[in-house]
Amino acid sequence: MGAAPGIARVAVIGSGVMGAAIAAHVANAGVPVVLLDIAAEGADRSKLAKGAIDRLLKTKPAPLMHPSFARRITPGNLEDDLGLIAACDWICEAIIEKVEIKRALYQRLQTVRKPGSIVSSNTSTIPLAELVRGQDPGFAADFAITHFFNPPRYMRLLEVVGGAQTRADALAALRRFGDETLGKEVVAAKDTPGFIANRIGIYWSVTAMEAAFDQGLSIEEADAVVGRPMGVPKTGIFGLADLTGLDLGPHVVGSMLKLLPKSDAFVTAYRPDHPLNALTARLIADGYIGRKGKGGFYRDRGKEVLDFATGTYRPVVPAELDSVKAAKSGLKALVEHPDKGGRYAWTVLSRVLVYAADLVPEIADDILAVDAAMRCGYAWKEGPFQQIDRLGSGWLAEKLKAEGRPVPRLLEIAAGRPFYKIEGGKALYLTPGGDYAEIPVAPDAWTLADKKRGRERIAGNRSASLWDIGDGVACLEIHTKMNAIDGDVIALVAQAAKIDKRGYKALIIGGDADNFSVGANIGLGLFAANLALWPVLEGGIAEGQSAYMALKYAPFPVVAAPARMTLGGGCEICLHSDAVQAHAETYMGLVEAGVGLVPGWGGCTELVIRATLNKKRPGGPMPPIAQVFETISTAKVSASAAEARDLLLLRPGDGITMNRRRLLADAKARALALAADYKPPAPVEINLPGATARAALDMAVEGFVRQGKATAHDKVVAGALAKVLSGGDTDITRSLKEQDIMALEREAFVSLLKTNATLDRIEHMLETGKPLRN
Amino acid sequence: MPTYEAPLKDYRFVLNDLIQIDRYANLPGFADAPRETVDAILEEGARLVQEVLAPLNQVGDREGCHFDQGRVTTPTGFKAAYDTYREAGWGALTADPAYGGQGLPHVIGMMVSEMMCSANMAFAMYPGLSHGAYAAIHAHGTDEQKQMYLPKLVSGVWTGTMNLTEPQCGTDLGLMRTKAEPQGDGSYRITGTKIFISAGEHDLAENIVHLVLAKIPGGPAGIKGVSLFIVPKFLINPDGSLGARNGVACGSIEHKMGIHGNSTCVLNYDGATGYLVGEAHKGMRAMFTMMNEARLGVGVQGLGVAEVAYQNAAIYARDRLQMRSLSGVKAPDKPADPIIVHPDIRRMLMTMRAFTEGARALALQTGLLIDFSLRHPDAQARRDADDLVALLTPMLKAYLTDSGFETTNLALQCYGGHGYIQEWGMEQFVRDARITQIYEGTNGIQALDLVGRKLPMHMGRLLRQFCHPLDRFIRENSADPAIGKTYVLPLARAFARFQQATAWIAERGLARPDEAGAAASDYLKLFALVALGHVWAQMAKVAGEKLAQGADDRAFYEAKLVTARFFMERMLPDTAALQAKIQAGAESMMALPADAF
Repeated sequence: MGAAPGIARVAVIGSGVMGAAIAAHVANAGVPVVLLDIAAEGADRSKLAKGAIDRLLKTKPAPLMHPSFARRITPGNLEDDLGLIAACDWICEAIIEKVEIKRALYQRLQTVRKPGSIVSSNTSTIPLAELVRGQDPGFAADFAITHFFNPPRYMRLLEVVGGAQTRADALAALRRFGDETLGKEVVAAKDTPGFIANRIGIYWSVTAMEAAFDQGLSIEEADAVVGRPMGVPKTGIFGLADLTGLDLGPHVVGSMLKLLPKSDAFVTAYRPDHPLNALTARLIADGYIGRKGKGGFYRDRGKEVLDFATGTYRPVVPAELDSVKAAKSGLKALVEHPDKGGRYAWTVLSRVLVYAADLVPEIADDILAVDAAMRCGYAWKEGPFQQIDRLGSGWLAEKLKAEGRPVPRLLEIAAGRPFYKIEGGKALYLTPGGDYAEIPVAPDAWTLADKKRGRERIAGNRSASLWDIGDGVACLEIHTKMNAIDGDVIALVAQAAKIDKRGYKALIIGGDADNFSVGANIGLGLFAANLALWPVLEGGIAEGQSAYMALKYAPFPVVAAPARMTLGGGCEICLHSDAVQAHAETYMGLVEAGVGLVPGWGGCTELVIRATLNKKRPGGPMPPIAQVFETISTAKVSASAAEARDLLLLRPGDGITMNRRRLLADAKARALALAADYKPPAPVEINLPGATARAALDMAVEGFVRQGKATAHDKVVAGALAKVLSGGDTDITRSLKEQDIMALEREAFVSLLKTNATLDRIEHMLETGKPLRN
Repeated sequence: MPTYEAPLKDYRFVLNDLIQIDRYANLPGFADAPRETVDAILEEGARLVQEVLAPLNQVGDREGCHFDQGRVTTPTGFKAAYDTYREAGWGALTADPAYGGQGLPHVIGMMVSEMMCSANMAFAMYPGLSHGAYAAIHAHGTDEQKQMYLPKLVSGVWTGTMNLTEPQCGTDLGLMRTKAEPQGDGSYRITGTKIFISAGEHDLAENIVHLVLAKIPGGPAGIKGVSLFIVPKFLINPDGSLGARNGVACGSIEHKMGIHGNSTCVLNYDGATGYLVGEAHKGMRAMFTMMNEARLGVGVQGLGVAEVAYQNAAIYARDRLQMRSLSGVKAPDKPADPIIVHPDIRRMLMTMRAFTEGARALALQTGLLIDFSLRHPDAQARRDADDLVALLTPMLKAYLTDSGFETTNLALQCYGGHGYIQEWGMEQFVRDARITQIYEGTNGIQALDLVGRKLPMHMGRLLRQFCHPLDRFIRENSADPAIGKTYVLPLARAFARFQQATAWIAERGLARPDEAGAAASDYLKLFALVALGHVWAQMAKVAGEKLAQGADDRAFYEAKLVTARFFMERMLPDTAALQAKIQAGAESMMALPADAF
């Protein structure tokens, strides 16, 4: 992590929601950032920016990856602190969407910014050409649009738009900073209205809402179709409007109508007198502007919904559409289904796909940019051209023809061929010229899929696989549901620990799945526990422990590359790796206590050893034990990789990668660096205090129970944990090996599994996804 | 003519030695049933069934019911017997005191049921169905409905029925056609044909309360659109007196293989007035809450018929002289030895005995669990009991009726050619028992319910209440010098097979439902044997303790130990074969194309 050469210091101007959040994300990347807003009245002229930083610390989901990162943001005001900009390499403007005000600001920036610095605007509605009009040529050369999506920490898309005069190296620097430092999927867009994602996304939104109304679907039915079945977030189209705010709708639609050519399908299809417009206007007027207000299309936390027929709210009736069930076998099955859901899906999808296909190369040079923008900016599972491939480009063209609708040129160019294909081990895409070109894969930014293409796995089973990723490095990939760890995963971990026998010199663990691992498959465990299959469960624990120990002491380096959920047994894999290269969005924790268990695959052991041997700790055996006890007994999960360091789940030497697409490459580089002259760690021994520490921990828990902060079963679980962490029946003079503490883990784990309350917790977690407080 | 003597000694053993019912005097209703009261009830019950019901069993079988222009006449003596039953208040035994019941524990009622089924199963079905109707209205009816119907059902002045089956819809109730049209006054007009309605029409009581499943037009398709209705034969006036005849008529009665004394009717509903019970379209849920009880009741029928068949076979085997013992003459003063000396006769008698005594103990333990699930003050204990009842119910229904039927068959076999002759009464038991494998959900459906619904429910939570206590029992007793080697170790082996087979089904069945379906019936049997093994090991432990304490009736307890050993040695090993069958998979079962059959 750290700044790419060229941009080492950043300024964000405008401390509104977007400006502040962009500044926060720059801070997340470890880059100092100045946040300026207009000077306020009163004593503290910088209070706007300061207030914005305070809000950052309270906003959920958190824009900052660690509260301490707020210190990387220097607040100021445009009157007194404009000079701070002089040291900045990139100045990002995120002020009100008024062209005159922006231009005036730019003129002031020109007076202070250093030569060669880059200025960008986060505008979503004003063409770049308009913004640079009247500015001096030097400004235009340094100017671009950097369009972030809200919230910038979490939405992966960054559209970068250069103007005719923009320096190529300035654009390259922005792209590189956006990609490597900020971790964004940077898409090159053109100076066209709404750029890429909003151009298609707003059209999609209007189309989907109006068609639902016109075709007589209820809001629930529409959201059930334009949701998971169509590969978009399950909020659906009306739920999404509630989330982003109904009041935003008329503004964005209005600006699109103003900017787009009159011949654009968005404009020609727009009906100002559509009843939905009046309905929305009334909702906004009544304060129903979405989740941030009294409600929107839904209210009362999604329990009530607006009824189109009556214009009033009524209880939600879950949609029962056969087409939605049919969608399980694919997008085509959905749009071909004869029920109203299927007809609706066809209307929306066909219009949107036609619209998108008509826009290449107008708004983007290639289909890659369009698909990436919709995936990363609107969280679609697949972009429009991927969706066309699901239907078949020929099938779609024929169906459009049959309905008497014009066929987009790009679809005719495709002439029945797919937009994407794999050939000769290469991933290809169809260019607007009608030829296939290889999808570029950078040597330092790739997915596991890129490495797997055209290869057989080295070894594997139904739950996990080992892949050759080149240069003598192997990659262990988990591919169960939610990457849960089962017996097969453990078996492959054990096999991976011997990969040197096959000539490999390093191993990384990771993949392309959303989550690194949600932990052990507790469903299988629960069934076995209900069946009283104790020997099987004990065996499972012992096998996991020995597999993880084999990883730790393997004669080659092991680097784990976690991303997103890295819980329980998944977290324990990381704990046993020589190094961790974590994605910045890694949510790590030993969460077993939540389901009434203690970590059983060496998590307790590794963490208590880590804490005890931590030289920075205060003296005495108790503080490290107490810290680990708190982390595990309260099932703490880090909200980022940065926070995982606080919990000792990441060590100071473990790395963080901002861009998920660079994670495996970084991990591999790390593994190769370690492989030179690698020596496995020496087994450690520690001394734990035994009964005295256990009594102290038990007493603390007793206090929490009395205060009502811990439940009866929390006490049982914490008691079992205290016994493990204090070393069982030992005393401070005795040295304990890892195996000794792991034996305690096994014993505690199985004893808890035999309690009803633990089994109830597991069952509740599986059935509701929420912890049971019993 | 067959004879019957209620197994009171065995009831007392299960209640007092095994279950130790005194421990639960804190539960509502239990304090009202101290040992002496229970003894008195059982003795009274035994007198009723031995003196009044048993003598009518063959009469009912020979005469059957008679149908004449919508009226059904029960066999000679049934009406008088029913009056005796009703006047003595037997229908009120376990019913809610709020509606005239005595509120006694279910486990007591179960013993009375078994006795009645032994003595005269066809007769016992009349009050049995009333109890089903009572349970449905009690669980789901409005206060008004409860006040109107329950006291009369409890007192037996009225009887009840359950109407599910239609000509085109048996197991698959989603195919139901009977419709219920709302009348605007809260009532419904019920139109359709129901078949196989036990006790659907008869001359025993002044009114019949039909509980009818029907579909309200416009409701959800299939099983989700079924609602439950009360349709009385005679409408009830606001003052509780009987009003006009409702639009339900018996079209004919069935001519059946057995239970001739019970009227099995075709009921035609022609715009009959019905009243919704519970919520519209939630009829199946209402049915399911009483299904456990009804299914256990059928299991007890299987046990009851098996018991009486066994008793007669044992008597016959001691009397009948044929051949000499293989090991030398046993009755030199007689022309031949009684057949009870022959190992193969012993095989049959011991098999029957090990089944009936084990099944009885298991059924009564389950009866107690039903009491827990309804009456226990602790919510967790209620849930645990409910879980186990839900798991055991399909097994008890199917296994007790399959083995019950098999027992009647073995008993008949002991009689040789005489078993095949009507006069001896043994073939009636076989015919009567046969229906229990079919109705209230065929045994194949029970196996599917066990494997498809009960096992996966809450990720195997229902299994916990079975497996954990059994696991503990094994761990605590396997080293016991008195019972460890003989009783506990075989049980431990069988339990391990059960665990493996369950895990196998859970793993395979999830991905391929046909695998679970193919395994279901064998799995149910495996489960039953392990459950019986557990109860036999418990009984052996108790019997051994009683003997060690110098109990009076040594012969009784020694017999328990021997029977327990027989079960462990000669019945429980079937679990190995069952496990092998289950884990062989579905392939050979499903491979042939349908037209190859």
